[in-house]
Amino acid sequence: MGITELLWRFPSAQMAWRNLGRNRIRTALASLGIVIGVISIASLGITGVAIQQQATSDLGSLTNEVTITSGEDSSTAGVTADQVDEVRNVASNVDVVPQYSDATTISSRNGQEENVSVIGLTQANVLYDVSAGESPERLQSGVLLTDSTANQLGIEIGDPIEYNGQMYRVRGLIESDQGFGGGGRGQLVVPESALSDRDNYDSVTIVTEDGDAATEIAAILRDHFNEETHNGEVDEELSITDYSDVQENINSFMNTLRLALLGIGSISLVVASVAILNVMLMSTIERRGEIGVLRAVGIRRGEVLRMILTEAAFLGAIGGLAGVLISLVIGLALFRVLAGDAMVVFEWESARYLVYGFLFAIGASVVSGLYPAWKAANDRPVEALRG
Amino acid sequence: MSVIALTDVVKRYQTGHETVEALKDVDFRAERGEMVTIIGPSGSGKSTLLNMIGLLDTPTEGQIRLDGRDVTDFTEDELTEERRSEIGFVFQDFHLLPMLTATENVELPTMWDTSVDRHDRAVDLLHRVGLGDRLDHRPDQLSGGQRQRVAIARALINEPDILLADEPTGNLDQDTGRTILEELTRLKEDENIAIVSVTHDEQMIGYADRVVRLIDGEIQ
Repeated sequence: MGITELLWRFPSAQMAWRNLGRNRIRTALASLGIVIGVISIASLGITGVAIQQQATSDLGSLTNEVTITSGEDSSTAGVTADQVDEVRNVASNVDVVPQYSDATTISSRNGQEENVSVIGLTQANVLYDVSAGESPERLQSGVLLTDSTANQLGIEIGDPIEYNGQMYRVRGLIESDQGFGGGGRGQLVVPESALSDRDNYDSVTIVTEDGDAATEIAAILRDHFNEETHNGEVDEELSITDYSDVQENINSFMNTLRLALLGIGSISLVVASVAILNVMLMSTIERRGEIGVLRAVGIRRGEVLRMILTEAAFLGAIGGLAGVLISLVIGLALFRVLAGDAMVVFEWESARYLVYGFLFAIGASVVSGLYPAWKAANDRPVEALRG
Repeated sequence: MSVIALTDVVKRYQTGHETVEALKDVDFRAERGEMVTIIGPSGSGKSTLLNMIGLLDTPTEGQIRLDGRDVTDFTEDELTEERRSEIGFVFQDFHLLPMLTATENVELPTMWDTSVDRHDRAVDLLHRVGLGDRLDHRPDQLSGGQRQRVAIARALINEPDILLADEPTGNLDQDTGRTILEELTRLKEDENIAIVSVTHDEQMIGYADRVVRLIDGEIQ
């Protein structure tokens, strides 16, 4: 009785609620359409968010980096120490990591061999996260090795590895799957001194806060190093690569995907609102005489209109609420699987699709109720009473 | 002054290519405290006349005055307001809303009017028609006679000047019909209202202060 007492203050709501209660099965079936519509919209929207979040977190370590290699028009092979200093001057407050590259073959005690890329650098901790051991701020002695390669060869922390005729101890194991780098091959990170016979660095990696900062620094560096010559061509001294394009492409693809998913979801809501239109029309035609009585005893047209619109809104709200609850469960499961943290579903980025779904449900229902409500309210009482 | 007065009222319907004259120059009036019964064969225009008196329909020609005010050219919304405040309806098949209790059905015409609480009057009216112990019953838990009493209470909730009854005893047995008529007679005096009814029921004529005979849209 609680809810009806509250509704007593709102006559349209009171009447609408009672009317819906008269034919519960029909009410439930009409709402079911809305439930499905809301689930489609909300869970497809949430799926889009979950996929996008997973994609960006996979790429996250890459998009905030800028890679510098020797340019097409450079007179030297590689990046010189002077150029590195200049880069450090231009790009202050970010980590600038010059490095040598090489390749080698590591063998295990039982004779198994594995090809790996060799990176010579000092600031290991900037570029590499380790799953075991340490990633030193200044790599002076010892090496880091990709953990999957280490597993394959049975190498553990503290084991010796031979490179260029010298023995190094493994200090840390690098987490696999960091960015695109390595081309699937394992990486062996050695101190710069191991490759000190080289004249110039092979590349420089700049690590910034985020993708936007990386794009900005890349642009500044391009302006600085690659001057435009008088005939309009660019004199490329250094080749400067950032991954903002990749990020943008992914974002725009994701937006397209999300819109497509929402489009599919909306179709089911349109179908649902046609069902509501049908049910409301049927029920007002059935109750024609009754509505005629209401009009005869002095209930205004606007009041009849409000009553029927409220009925439609209630159908939408009932269906919307059920749909939101079910979508929430789906969302929790989805984020649990894709992001590893179910609670992410409550963040606005994804939770908003629950709100959208609910609002769409009520909106679509009220729109569907407009015609039946208008028809009922404007039926002449004399005709309506005749049945 | 007559509470309702129809002067030279003509009502024509267009059915297909034919024009049907349902009412021909009808003059009708009713006073407070009077029960007028309109009788006549089917198709004589009884219901059309009742709809005119009840401001549910507008005449093709002629004039309708309610409490001396000319309401002939009122818009549908203005007529709704007049019905709301001046007129009560009782129908042959009761027309109670099945999902509302007896008290709620009586309150129905005032339901959207949140400024006044007619709950007490609704309960009082139900007591007066002998349904004091059926306040929270729904229509399907009431007998035909009880339903018609609820309908009568509903018609009186707004303290109208006129109560219109379309075959009020039509769906009731003789005894129940008689008690309803006695009820109406008593209320007519208590509330000082005009009661206009349409009927086939011979017994109802006995309770009428005045009988109007309508044949082929003309008062005889």
